[in-house]
Amino acid sequence: MVLARSTRLAATLFVAALLLVAHVMIFFVAPREVTMGDVQRIVYLHVSVAWCGLAGCLTMGLTGAAFLLRRTLRWDHWSQAAAEIGWLCTTLTLATGSLWAHEAWNTWWTWEPRLTSSLVLWMLFAGCLLVRSSIDDPQRRARISAVLAVLTLADVPLVVMATRWFRGVHPVTPEMDPRMRMVLLVSVLSYTALFAALIIVRRRQLEYAAEVTAEEHHRGIVTAAS
Amino acid sequence: MTLLLDSVRAWCWLLHKDLLREWRAPRGWSGMLLLAVVLAALIEMQLELPRELKRGLVAGLFWLAAFFAGTLALERSFAAERECGCWSALLLYPVAPGTIFLAKLTANFLALCLVDAVLVAAFTIFSDVPLLTRPAAFAGILLLANLGFASVGTLLGALTSGIQQRGSLLVLLLLPLVSPVILSAAQATRLLLADSPGDWQRWAQLLAVFAVVFVSLGTLVFEFLTED
Repeated sequence: MVLARSTRLAATLFVAALLLVAHVMIFFVAPREVTMGDVQRIVYLHVSVAWCGLAGCLTMGLTGAAFLLRRTLRWDHWSQAAAEIGWLCTTLTLATGSLWAHEAWNTWWTWEPRLTSSLVLWMLFAGCLLVRSSIDDPQRRARISAVLAVLTLADVPLVVMATRWFRGVHPVTPEMDPRMRMVLLVSVLSYTALFAALIIVRRRQLEYAAEVTAEEHHRGIVTAAS
Repeated sequence: MTLLLDSVRAWCWLLHKDLLREWRAPRGWSGMLLLAVVLAALIEMQLELPRELKRGLVAGLFWLAAFFAGTLALERSFAAERECGCWSALLLYPVAPGTIFLAKLTANFLALCLVDAVLVAAFTIFSDVPLLTRPAAFAGILLLANLGFASVGTLLGALTSGIQQRGSLLVLLLLPLVSPVILSAAQATRLLLADSPGDWQRWAQLLAVFAVVFVSLGTLVFEFLTED
């Protein structure tokens, strides 16, 4: 237990240090972009959270499939944690993208393929969370959510492919200064570490909550019987 | 071989049962078709544009109307089964869940085709844009889009059928999941309506991929939705 606590502390410090380094690099190492100025620095956060949103979808779908095969609630806790953190990351993607678009394209929103696919992903996450909140029985909730997570996983590549075929204005692989590229890489790595840490913490919370509910249920049965 | 024949026979009986039920209770499907006409009329009322400009808009609006009218059919598909414990009785029969899914999918597919037929007539009359300039290609797009839409809709109809706020949940889940179908079908239709049709086959390919993926996936995962 002590070892687990020290490991947790070390992991937290590691993620915090990574984030600190990434943000110092974003503001002090990455060169100022000529056309957009300092606003362009949003890109380092935007790309990182967008990647985490997709990783959240992947984790949600795969752990959902694992639940359907294994039928242990442990996998459902992973899937729910991934859905919640994935939704948060996609919300941040849309918010930072909108801020960037306002400076770059002079509009908060445009029906551009990449923006549309991100919005669809956000809706899918929101739908999964809504279904979860509508079902009380844990096993049934896990089963229905797992099927939905698998459907979402199959749908995302199709959404990306469909929107890629439209002509868009979203930059895909822009020419970048090597220092900018390095800062972007560090930023993506640090946010991926934060994403993983948040999922682990949230999964543990869900597991504790399930244990407490089961314990209360058991006590209720014992009290009623006596 | 016998197993396959049994499955085909069960599929025929289940489809027959669903179609007979719809025939005996015309309020459901007539309401759906009326909604399709009302949607087409309401949309066209707002579009006081020259015919050439309308041609570019009609494709997207047509598929949006098809989506909303079709959702009514998908919602009814399982809601009717839940009434009077019909769903539990159906699951007692020695029929594979995949066969039940395919039968429901076929019934929903036919309902969506009916909605599209009404919408084509309504949009052609109200908008004065001839949707059937290339009938074979347009029919192909309709069939592929309906197959993809029906496969996801059937799965989500089963998924939400036991949940209290099923009507709103179905629309909320269906719209993002079938967005590739609506986008691709609208784009293909827009190209078909143009004077010189572009590469509409590429969009038809995407619709075919979507249909194949979700029909296969549905047959596999439907079993997990029948455990209630």
